[in-house]
Amino acid sequence: MHPATPPTVDAPVGRSDRTRLPRRRLLRGLLAMTVAAPLLLGAAACGDDDGAAGPNAPVKLSIFWWGGDARAKLTEDALALYTQKHPNVTFEKTWQANQGYFDKLATLTAGGNPPDLFQIDDNYLAEYAARNTTLDLTSYQKSGKLDTFKFPESLWQYGVVDGKLAGLAAGENTQGLVYNKTLLTKNNLPEPTTGMTWEQHIAWAEEVSKKTGVPGTQDPSADYKALWVWLRQQGKDLYKGSELGFTAEDVTTWFELWKGARDRRATPTADVIHEGNSSDVTKQLVVTGKSATSWVWANQMPDLKKNTKDELGVIAYPGDPSAQWARASMYWSVFKGSKNRDVAVDVINFLNNDLAAVKLLGTDRGLPSNLDLRRVVSDDTTDPAMKQSIAVEAELTQKFGPSPQVPIKGHSKVKSELIKSAENAQYGRATPAEAATQFVEACKSAIA
Amino acid sequence: MALTTAPDPTRRGPGSVRAHPKRRGPGRIRHTEGLAGYVFLSPWLIGLMGVTAIPMLLSLYLSFTDYDVLTPFSEVRWVGLANYERMFTADPSYWHAVRVTVTFALVAVPLKLVAALGVALLLNRAWRGVGLFRGLFYLPSLLGGSVALAIVWVNMFNRDGAFNSLLSLFGITGKPWVNDPDWALETLMVLAIWQFGAPMVIFLAGLKQVPTELYEAAAVDGAGRFRQFRNVTLPMLSPVIFFNLVLETINGFQGFTAAFVLSNGTGGPVDSTLMYTLNLYITGFTELDMGYASAMAWVFLLAIAVITAIFFSTGRFWVHYSDEEDR
Amino acid sequence: MTLTPTAVALPSPRRRPGGRPLLRLLILVAIVAVVLYPLIWMVGTSVKSQEEIVNNLGLLPERFTPGNYTAGWSNFDVSFGRFFLNSAMVSLLTVVGNGLSCLLAAYAFARLRFRLRGVWFAVMIGTLLLPQHVLIVPQYILFRTLGLVGGEWPYLPLLVPQFLATEAFFVFLMVQFMRGIPRELDEAARIDGAGPYGIFRHIILPLSRPALVTTAIFSFIWTWNDFFRQLVFLSQLQDYTVPVALTLFIDSTSQSAVGPMFAMSVLSLLPVFLFFVAFQRMLVEGINTSGIKG
Repeated sequence: MHPATPPTVDAPVGRSDRTRLPRRRLLRGLLAMTVAAPLLLGAAACGDDDGAAGPNAPVKLSIFWWGGDARAKLTEDALALYTQKHPNVTFEKTWQANQGYFDKLATLTAGGNPPDLFQIDDNYLAEYAARNTTLDLTSYQKSGKLDTFKFPESLWQYGVVDGKLAGLAAGENTQGLVYNKTLLTKNNLPEPTTGMTWEQHIAWAEEVSKKTGVPGTQDPSADYKALWVWLRQQGKDLYKGSELGFTAEDVTTWFELWKGARDRRATPTADVIHEGNSSDVTKQLVVTGKSATSWVWANQMPDLKKNTKDELGVIAYPGDPSAQWARASMYWSVFKGSKNRDVAVDVINFLNNDLAAVKLLGTDRGLPSNLDLRRVVSDDTTDPAMKQSIAVEAELTQKFGPSPQVPIKGHSKVKSELIKSAENAQYGRATPAEAATQFVEACKSAIA
Repeated sequence: MALTTAPDPTRRGPGSVRAHPKRRGPGRIRHTEGLAGYVFLSPWLIGLMGVTAIPMLLSLYLSFTDYDVLTPFSEVRWVGLANYERMFTADPSYWHAVRVTVTFALVAVPLKLVAALGVALLLNRAWRGVGLFRGLFYLPSLLGGSVALAIVWVNMFNRDGAFNSLLSLFGITGKPWVNDPDWALETLMVLAIWQFGAPMVIFLAGLKQVPTELYEAAAVDGAGRFRQFRNVTLPMLSPVIFFNLVLETINGFQGFTAAFVLSNGTGGPVDSTLMYTLNLYITGFTELDMGYASAMAWVFLLAIAVITAIFFSTGRFWVHYSDEEDR
Repeated sequence: MTLTPTAVALPSPRRRPGGRPLLRLLILVAIVAVVLYPLIWMVGTSVKSQEEIVNNLGLLPERFTPGNYTAGWSNFDVSFGRFFLNSAMVSLLTVVGNGLSCLLAAYAFARLRFRLRGVWFAVMIGTLLLPQHVLIVPQYILFRTLGLVGGEWPYLPLLVPQFLATEAFFVFLMVQFMRGIPRELDEAARIDGAGPYGIFRHIILPLSRPALVTTAIFSFIWTWNDFFRQLVFLSQLQDYTVPVALTLFIDSTSQSAVGPMFAMSVLSLLPVFLFFVAFQRMLVEGINTSGIKG
């Protein structure tokens, strides 16, 4: 009736039958276990062998990623291809949606049971790297086992945390401003273009609002990626070392810029802006018809397109496009304590540099990191929305500036604090200056 | 732990358990009953020792550390009372979450209980189709906290949602309820009340336990329906009312799912739905500050324990147990 | 208010006078309409196309898209039916485990005297109070230490606790119900020579049906809807349960198959709804009609 009663538990309970006063011993047993568990795990988590089994010894590699079922199929096929070439390597594949992904990854890591190879994004890369969870890939890169020769320089550099290569880009992506082409054409309005200044963008949006009745642009003041681009155009950055790369004055200017836009009705009302502040594709105002533009990632084009009948266009964020960079849409990282780390690194190399594998994976995780293979894949692409996104990315590749440092520990909090402060200003509960001060204070304690 | 002072409800009343041994040779009963007690309790005790207690004690230990989930236990740093200090002195958003939670619980819990009891009374008696109605009223609770629910609720209480269409029939211009920081918490309350199925079922089961004869006796004494309700239903139902009150209060304060689902896990807009446990989850998992989150959890436990203890101590004045001989 | 076992066992001749059935029905239908509107909307949305779900907030689709159901059912390598079976198995075993183990514990708390009972009772209530999010990591670590995680059968960490009465909610629930059972019945049995086990078997067990049914209903439904623990402990697609599978439709940063997700959400309500309707029948007959061997 009690399947597999935990063996460790039997001991104290068994004793309790014999003694009249079981309490003290139970308590002692309990405490012993409490202390023992972490020690056991501490040992387990350290995985102390050298990670270099014989080349043909059978290996079962655990791999974990988030995404939809389309990604799952592509990835499974690519991994099957690897097994075909290396019959001794099989995979234990786990995938799920991004909801709860990092909760589970953290729990597995805490339990001393993390996957050998896992997908991670720039929100968490520094968090994991700073805690020594990820393997430093630099030596593999130097020895050529991990070939980044054909990668854009700034792309692999955007995986370096504290001088260590903590993750390798699984694909490239950059900020994209997506607009409703159909709406503009219908109303004889010009399409926005890359290189417009922020002021020009807002003026254009105001015009759109007036003519169409649909607010011209989403207010991106709560969006860290928009703020980031804007800061870089002002010669600032989101982070500098372990500090913030901006001041309260910068943020005040940013918030005031958008307060002006709201006052001129270039944007929707605060409650609609709040809807669009969600990162959810289906809530982006450009597809729900509540504004003419949305601030997203360029590679989200195909997914956005599925949610609307209207034609969409995509350009870079306003201002000098060289503030944008070849961003890793996500990375592959190897668990530091993995027994199979050499194989895991080889799998990353395969997924990035093998023609057949890259062709299989296509643009699902962003544009292929290997530029030679990217060209092949781009030519093969048939999805028109994806073609648009590739075109923008290709155009920008010429203009991309150097990549900034990977967001530091505390970045998640910084992101959510930005939303809170910006919304305080949007709902009129704080002035831009107040909201900015509040934001910077909160950031300082978040990254401390 | 404050809880150990909570009075045991099974130990009072002149005719309750304690009195029995006096009537019937204390030694023998005490021995067999004492043994039987532990025999019956053994699965729970094993569960407590093996499953429940260790994680609880670990979390208590972690609340004095800077545990961040990713660092192995062997390397966590003991920080003493720092987490607790931070909570009480340096974290305004913590206190904001406390305020949100208390407001939510004070409004949603009583209303949910009243709704549940009201509908249970309507659906108590057997008539054709009553099962269907019970099922229909339970349906909202079946949704739990699914992704679909989030989409449904947002679309009901959005600016152009169904609720505002209803209001416009009466010439009222509604608000963007879910997206309005002044109203989002109220929307959350409505959601919690809407899912009143669980206490309703418990009330229904409780009503089934009221012996029909009591109503007949009351009717013979000339009691009308209201007096029957007051003098028979309420006292006989009081253990179940008590249970629902205690549990829904605990649930109300924990209130994670609705807040998580409606705000997409953020507690927004502008922290207006940042419930205590949601704040705790964000702190522990998103920000990986599990030591601090554990401290929050233990303060929560203590606070709720005090409230529960108060309920238990007032229970003696209004909860009627059939296993007590109160005449 | 003194009752004798025979009085309780008597079938009730007539219930309270009936009020106005039509009025009651009207009130009920009105409340039901309001309460169910969001659910009807959900059903309507489950037959909308993706693009319409995002843009058309009306109750009915402009273009009827029943294809969401077939698409959702076979969306993954594993058919959605598999997730239903997994969920049903976990939920049913949880019902059995909770029913058995909590009943035993509740009987001890409600009726038996033993050392430290007050302390244990308080501890039991105390285990209800700690938010689960700080427990999941220590629990995972503990279960892994005990070898429950990563075994042949992935559901072990989800089910073992359920057979050990760790859901204090149900223990407390049953205690409250048992305390509503008149003690005279125990006394009568005791005079006939029954000990604690006999009383449990012949008095408490048969009279605990409302509590057991309630426990069954909640155990089933809550397990059916539980997301976080199932997400953490299950790792293979073919082992996933319905709530975990439902989230697979929506990866908010990229792909989102909202229509199929809605369709499967609607379908996933059916088993729980049927389970509820079937079990609530047993709530109709409570103590009024239960025969008692005293």
